[in-house]
Amino acid sequence: MRRVAAVARNTFRESVRERVLYNLLFFAVIMTLSGLLLGELSIRQDAKIIKDLGLAAIDLFGTLIALFVGVGLVSKEIERRSLHPLLAKPLSRDEFLLGKFAGLGFTLLVNVGLMTGGLYATLLALRRGADPALLKAVFAIYLALLVTVALTLLLSILTSAAVASVSTLCLVIAGRYSDVILNLGDVVPGMPAWALRAVMILIPNFRNFDLKDRVVYGDPVSFGDLGWITAYAVAYTGTVITLAVIALRRRELT
Amino acid sequence: MTEAGPAVDIRGLSKSYRIGHLRGQRRQALRDLSLQVPRGVVFGCLGPNGSGKSTTLKLLLGLLFPDSGSATILGQPIGARAVRQSLGYLPENPYFYDYLTPNEYLDYAGRLFGLPPGARKDRARELLDLVGLAEAAEVHMRRFSKGMLQRLGLAQALVNRPELVFLDEPMSGLDPLGRRSVREIILRLKEEGSTVFFSTHILSDAETLCDEVAVLRGGSVVAKGRLDQILSLDVTHMEVLVSGLGPQEVSGLPAGVEIFRTMGERLVLHVPETQLGRLVVAVEQRGGRVLSVQPVRQSLEDYFFAEIGHPAKGEAWTAGA
Amino acid sequence: MKALAVLAVLLAAAVPWTQGRIDARLGTHRAQEEALYLWSGDQVRRLAPGFEDLMADVYWLRTVQYFGGQRVYAVNKRFDLLLPLVNITVTLDPRMQIAYRYGATFLAEAFPIGAGQPEAAVKLLERGVRSLPRDWRLRQDLGLFHYYFLNDPQRASQILLEAAEIPGAPPFLATLAAQVLMRGGDRETSRQVWRRIFEQGEGPMRNNAAVHLAQLDALDALDNLNGAILAYERRTGARPAVLDEIVRAGYRGPLVDPAGVPFAYDRSEGRATLARSSPLWRPNLK
Repeated sequence: MRRVAAVARNTFRESVRERVLYNLLFFAVIMTLSGLLLGELSIRQDAKIIKDLGLAAIDLFGTLIALFVGVGLVSKEIERRSLHPLLAKPLSRDEFLLGKFAGLGFTLLVNVGLMTGGLYATLLALRRGADPALLKAVFAIYLALLVTVALTLLLSILTSAAVASVSTLCLVIAGRYSDVILNLGDVVPGMPAWALRAVMILIPNFRNFDLKDRVVYGDPVSFGDLGWITAYAVAYTGTVITLAVIALRRRELT
Repeated sequence: MTEAGPAVDIRGLSKSYRIGHLRGQRRQALRDLSLQVPRGVVFGCLGPNGSGKSTTLKLLLGLLFPDSGSATILGQPIGARAVRQSLGYLPENPYFYDYLTPNEYLDYAGRLFGLPPGARKDRARELLDLVGLAEAAEVHMRRFSKGMLQRLGLAQALVNRPELVFLDEPMSGLDPLGRRSVREIILRLKEEGSTVFFSTHILSDAETLCDEVAVLRGGSVVAKGRLDQILSLDVTHMEVLVSGLGPQEVSGLPAGVEIFRTMGERLVLHVPETQLGRLVVAVEQRGGRVLSVQPVRQSLEDYFFAEIGHPAKGEAWTAGA
Repeated sequence: MKALAVLAVLLAAAVPWTQGRIDARLGTHRAQEEALYLWSGDQVRRLAPGFEDLMADVYWLRTVQYFGGQRVYAVNKRFDLLLPLVNITVTLDPRMQIAYRYGATFLAEAFPIGAGQPEAAVKLLERGVRSLPRDWRLRQDLGLFHYYFLNDPQRASQILLEAAEIPGAPPFLATLAAQVLMRGGDRETSRQVWRRIFEQGEGPMRNNAAVHLAQLDALDALDNLNGAILAYERRTGARPAVLDEIVRAGYRGPLVDPAGVPFAYDRSEGRATLARSSPLWRPNLK
């Protein structure tokens, strides 16, 4: 456990100092601040626009961070072999993987936290009130980011950095289009029902994590709902991480 | 782990790689390799590039999986986690983390060994002094030269005072000062009772450091033995160092005398022992001076070329760098 | 080095100049139009799943900026873009109440204030009512628009009653429903309608309602004025030459409309009307 923490710590440090992260964070903050400007241009919609923009920024940039920092960190370790001297020490491959996941998860937590802070600061600056319900949407977004990170880890172990980032991106996009996939049966007439179900289950359903509309319009989101969404995230992420552990155990590290 | 048995015992290890993605062709990197490394020695694993040295190390460390065969390290089968508490590994062309400093990296390594914080700090300082990186202790490794990374690589291999150290091309990228310091470290490790297993394609390094060597070629061991046995002294010829002779005087020397090397105004001559006396007299007659006389020693390079034959296409050797 | 600086300045100056040329040829709003005709609401939705609300905001902002809200007479507004823009907005976010109300207002108003498409406005409000069935304001607007723009007091009254039954609806809706039905067509009812809209409105919708109320006041003032002119004619046997004459004869009502523009007097017809130059003037004012 201590070793996993050591890997996590190191991962967090490394990712926090990656410049890519700062650029993305900067843009995210800018996006939220633009909400300030845009709000002025509308009629009585400024709070809504700022919330929409802020949550969208957290979602989009969080995903980009998860993707590129995630792929970069693990693929880079394997390709540049910084992993090798570590595994010669009493660190198992499993511990390494879990530590990486924890480190990235924590990195994302910090980033999401900063962006959320920026959003609330903007709302408070306009005296539009800091609506605590936004946190539910942010929490759901964070779960989605953990799913994304897990996918990047698995794919980085299975393939190269470039392929991993593209394929994770495709999965993330596909996961948002789940309503299109539902209708896949119409588009591909020969597709058997079981195949359709399989595709639906395999692809991560990111719509589950999209509470933005509901929160901004003030619809209730019960803790029961959040609980089930969390359970889905745990199940999906758990599966992917387990597969990643298996993949890493079998991978030849040339 | 403290039984008396070889430090490394390899039996019949084989490994092949798939080349290319589609055609299914394989390259045999190791063929039925067997090797024992006794404890407490400095063991050199020599061979041209592509002979399987790095592959062997990676198999021993569990980074790669063998097709067949087995091996033990300090009596434990490869892959056993407990034994890694006593191992050190310096990979070839090491790369660490751009955004960490040596102190942070060594702290990380220390944590992985379960060292308490005070010990980690002390050890880090000690090691950075040892490898000459004390001044760069807080510099991000992004800015490190190859030589600096190499030194850090050595430092991190020694964090746990290992019983068995694996070094893959430890001198690569270092300047002469660095190489000397690595040599000293290796010798000190041996003095402290550790076993050092290092692989290299630079023969002169092995010559000065190793107690035993194994020569790999094409994935198998083609020769091995104690260095003092391999490099026998050739007592039929003598090596004579002379000065003060110009080129024209040299041509008049007795038959059988061969100019081995020219070093400025000194010459190194090889002469059959029977002709030694005559040579000395001839040199002094011509106004030169004999500076030293010793038996000719076969170099490791000579041994190589004799045992292994000339380099095949694609192999690369270096006598000294 | 100097040469480079000069080059930089020249190139920089070329930027606004070329922009000016482009604008002169192609018009400043072309970018919006191009983007508009590329997408339908569903297409945009498919483009950015998970970000529909944000896209709705973007389209809403475009709508508001493009049609302004403050300017009453606009020269360059293309009202044929209003309906598509609003439709995309509400396709992306069916719950954006303000888009329905704003869109309907400016679709219904006659040119040059709006698009002059009252049926389209009503259709939009119907869509809004379907998406937000528990929103009494939308239903109220729907009813009022049937009354004012479609001249259908029966239907208007029905809808207003439906609105009155929505939980949270204010009590005056029922009263309004009755008024609309009974008086149907008179100025006082219209005044009630626009007063409600004014009180609930913001920004351009409120201003629009204010204009309507001012018009009604103007019409009242004109009624008085025309009555006075008629009385004068009967008394003196001739129409006044200028309005000052009836003032000298004792008339105390206003001679300027609520916007401060003097009423126009047509001697040949013997009637006063809103001056064409007044901001309150509309064709077919009733």
